[in-house]
Amino acid sequence: MSSLSVSNKHTTHEIAVSVRNLGLIYTTAIDSRPTLKARAKALGRGSKQTRVVRALDEVNLDVEYGQVLGVIGTNGAGKSSLMRCIAGILPPSQGRIEVNGSVSTLLALGVGFNPSMSGRDNVYLGGLAAGMSREEIEGHFDEIAEFSELGDAIDAPMRTYSSGMYARLAFSVAATVRPDILIIDEALSTGDAKFKEKSLNRIKELRSDDRALILVSHAMKTLRETCNDVVWLHKGKVVQRGEPNTVIDAYQKFLNLGKSAAIDEDV
Amino acid sequence: MSTPPQVYEPFKAGLPKLGKYWKSLWSRRTFISEYSKSELREQHFDSVFGQLWLVINPLLLSGVYFILIVIIRGGSDGTRYLHLTATLFLFYLISNSLTGGVKSITAGQRLILNTAFPRVMLPISAVVIAMFKFLPTIFVFLIIKAVLGSKFEVEMLWAIPVLFITMFLALGLAITISCINVYFRDIASFLPYLTRTFLYLSPVLYEASELDPKLRVLEIVNPLFPILDSWSSALVHGEMPQISSMLQGLAWAVGVFFIGTYFFLSREREFAVRL
Repeated sequence: MSSLSVSNKHTTHEIAVSVRNLGLIYTTAIDSRPTLKARAKALGRGSKQTRVVRALDEVNLDVEYGQVLGVIGTNGAGKSSLMRCIAGILPPSQGRIEVNGSVSTLLALGVGFNPSMSGRDNVYLGGLAAGMSREEIEGHFDEIAEFSELGDAIDAPMRTYSSGMYARLAFSVAATVRPDILIIDEALSTGDAKFKEKSLNRIKELRSDDRALILVSHAMKTLRETCNDVVWLHKGKVVQRGEPNTVIDAYQKFLNLGKSAAIDEDV
Repeated sequence: MSTPPQVYEPFKAGLPKLGKYWKSLWSRRTFISEYSKSELREQHFDSVFGQLWLVINPLLLSGVYFILIVIIRGGSDGTRYLHLTATLFLFYLISNSLTGGVKSITAGQRLILNTAFPRVMLPISAVVIAMFKFLPTIFVFLIIKAVLGSKFEVEMLWAIPVLFITMFLALGLAITISCINVYFRDIASFLPYLTRTFLYLSPVLYEASELDPKLRVLEIVNPLFPILDSWSSALVHGEMPQISSMLQGLAWAVGVFFIGTYFFLSREREFAVRL
């Protein structure tokens, strides 16, 4: 969940998100849990502890209100990084992003602040951290709890939740606040079949002229059914953008062939 | 009400725009109080026994140390016990801020990866929690002081500015260590040794005036030394603390806060890719 839940009136084709010459370079630790001990041991050996990642390179993208944009690409293509840049979580290294409207995000790991705290506390804390007021969260809370179908478990510590319960609460939070711009990153693949269908139906409900949806997914069928625009990212660059069937077909052809003429030109 | 357009651009000089950052932090102040309440509730400090434990724990510790001092040094008096209790309680404010602060960023991983917000909110919340835990101990100290027949002087009010300096220092330390822990996750394991060392190097088990002149260097290199000494002067002895000690404590607090905050703010953009 991110940014404010205040919903504004927007018109179709008005720009919701404008991404210009976006570049993202960051340094990250090679070890998933870097320690002082490991660093001290590595001293003198000259082994590298960090690596520089160029996650996005010269990305230009406009998302208009009324659009449902699907984002596809192989693992490491930069899809999640792009979503985090749009959500303001990762500041860009170059370029500029302009977001006109309230944003709600469901980025892979979803809601959840402290597993020792209850689902209820986590929803409130997540909302407050995102800049919502207590009243706004209270206004949405019953709907969130009902949609998540968690029942009494909403007051149990989140460490007792199954991954499906986690996903249900996360999706409910992001999809219930009805933001202007909703970003969902590979979150539809979690939860049981029934909830997956319910989530998809909610996304379809959320499609409207005054809202922009960005869906990152590997579920091509879902994207073909839901989106009216698809962008394909590869190695941090936009390879193709356009009508969903055309772009997805090209992407699937690339996956089958393992190589694409378009990529050869771009890389 | 409409949401103003958000513009995200590269940071200049490694720092976010401070005015915007502060505004964003201020607008989320409710988070800090809610987080503190939730955390205290989770640790059962909303119950009678939980609150009792807040008081009993440092009291037991001061009792243990007092017995140790009596055994090691022989006879002792009420003032020594008061000094031990007052300084130990304040020491625990800093120690709890460090313990809570060290994992505040790494524990907030899911939220950091999913939501844009000023990350400094997390170590600030840890200090607020430590403060909530500290406040009841002040009343316990005042009761002990009354029971032991120690006089209540107007100079005791000097403890208020000393407390503010301590909070400032605790905040700076929590911000710094939370950031270091992102890069070296085993810092939390070293923390008990660090706090224990500072406990022995600070005027808690002894009074500053008893210190061997050769060890006076501790007053300069240990940021807690002048603060705890001033605290004891005001609360235990009912005297005005030495202005030089208070200024020294303030200088440490300001220095640690600003250096730590600069370090944190210039690094926080990386947290989402480091966690």
